[in-house]
Amino acid sequence: MEPVKVDEIIDKYPAQSSVLIQLLLDIQGEFSWIPREAIQCVSERLNIPLSQIYRVASFYKAMSLTPRGRHVVNVCLGTACHVRGATRIIDKVEDSLGIKTGETTEDMQFTLQRVNCLGCCALGPVMLVDKDYHGKMTPAKVAAVLKDYD
Amino acid sequence: MGDITLTINDAPVTGQDGMTILEVARENGVDIPTMCYLKELSPIGACRLCVVEVEGSRNLVGSCHTPITEGMVIQTHSPRVVTARRMVVELMMANHPDNCLVCDAANQCELRQVAADLDVGLPSFKLKKHYYPIEDISPYLVRDLGKCILCQRCIRACDEIAKQKVFNLAYRGFDCKVIVDLDQPVDKEVCRDCDVCVSVCPTVALRKPKKQGEEKKGPPLILSQ
Repeated sequence: MEPVKVDEIIDKYPAQSSVLIQLLLDIQGEFSWIPREAIQCVSERLNIPLSQIYRVASFYKAMSLTPRGRHVVNVCLGTACHVRGATRIIDKVEDSLGIKTGETTEDMQFTLQRVNCLGCCALGPVMLVDKDYHGKMTPAKVAAVLKDYD
Repeated sequence: MGDITLTINDAPVTGQDGMTILEVARENGVDIPTMCYLKELSPIGACRLCVVEVEGSRNLVGSCHTPITEGMVIQTHSPRVVTARRMVVELMMANHPDNCLVCDAANQCELRQVAADLDVGLPSFKLKKHYYPIEDISPYLVRDLGKCILCQRCIRACDEIAKQKVFNLAYRGFDCKVIVDLDQPVDKEVCRDCDVCVSVCPTVALRKPKKQGEEKKGPPLILSQ
């Protein structure tokens, strides 16, 4: 992590506590996670207690406190996807990446997460890789989809 | 700033503008149980133990943070209120470790006292318990988060009385817990021995470290006949 980049992001906003969420989202966007050092920088610059920032960062799913892989794989386990066998999709992804849900592969390529609805139930079971939606998934299609991102 | 007249349990009482239902009730000898409320701290209405029934209100309201208004009609111990309170305590007990017999708080535990007062026995829910390691590296403070009931008294006391803001809540749902700084074990760097949080903790999630030879000080818990 480069502290200069964190400072740049902080400089974009007025130094007041109300910008906290936007600031954390920008840091998340820059590093794809929120390092502890970044929280310490923000705390010193904006004069917000560390615990307060950690509270916000740990609450929102959009922010991650652990390093994430280059590609984030979200498998939908909402009701519609679930009844169409989404659990088999996520099992297959876990198998082929060799990680459990919520973990990141050792080569930092993929992070696997489950979500509870992606809002496109007609396409179920749905898998979201970065910003691409892959609908009507089957366990057999998983390997081919993941290969595109390697 | 005039007097406000209202009715608590069918008896007319008066209170000042700006008082809460709880304050007026206590002034008039009506006992409403509380857990997260302390008069030194700002009320947040987190525990829902102090709920009362207010005529015209669809839901039960938390009395510790609801200001009184003219002509309020309040029931503090109606069946609906008591049922709700029992459920609140039962849920708190459900993921509290059930080792009261060997617990340091024993008879001083506010949760246990409230549970006894409200006649709540063993919880009927079989919930997961929280298992957290006991944090005892600080010479001033021992933290056992398994016993924490998330009343947020320590958070507010640290903020409002000690002016430190060491504690805060973090994570969500079942994983919600009180953290220190960046979710690190409490050590002597982050927290000195002001003891404010220890004195407000209703259970013994926060306590002073035991010193050798001090175990038997104080009055015995069970008096012999």
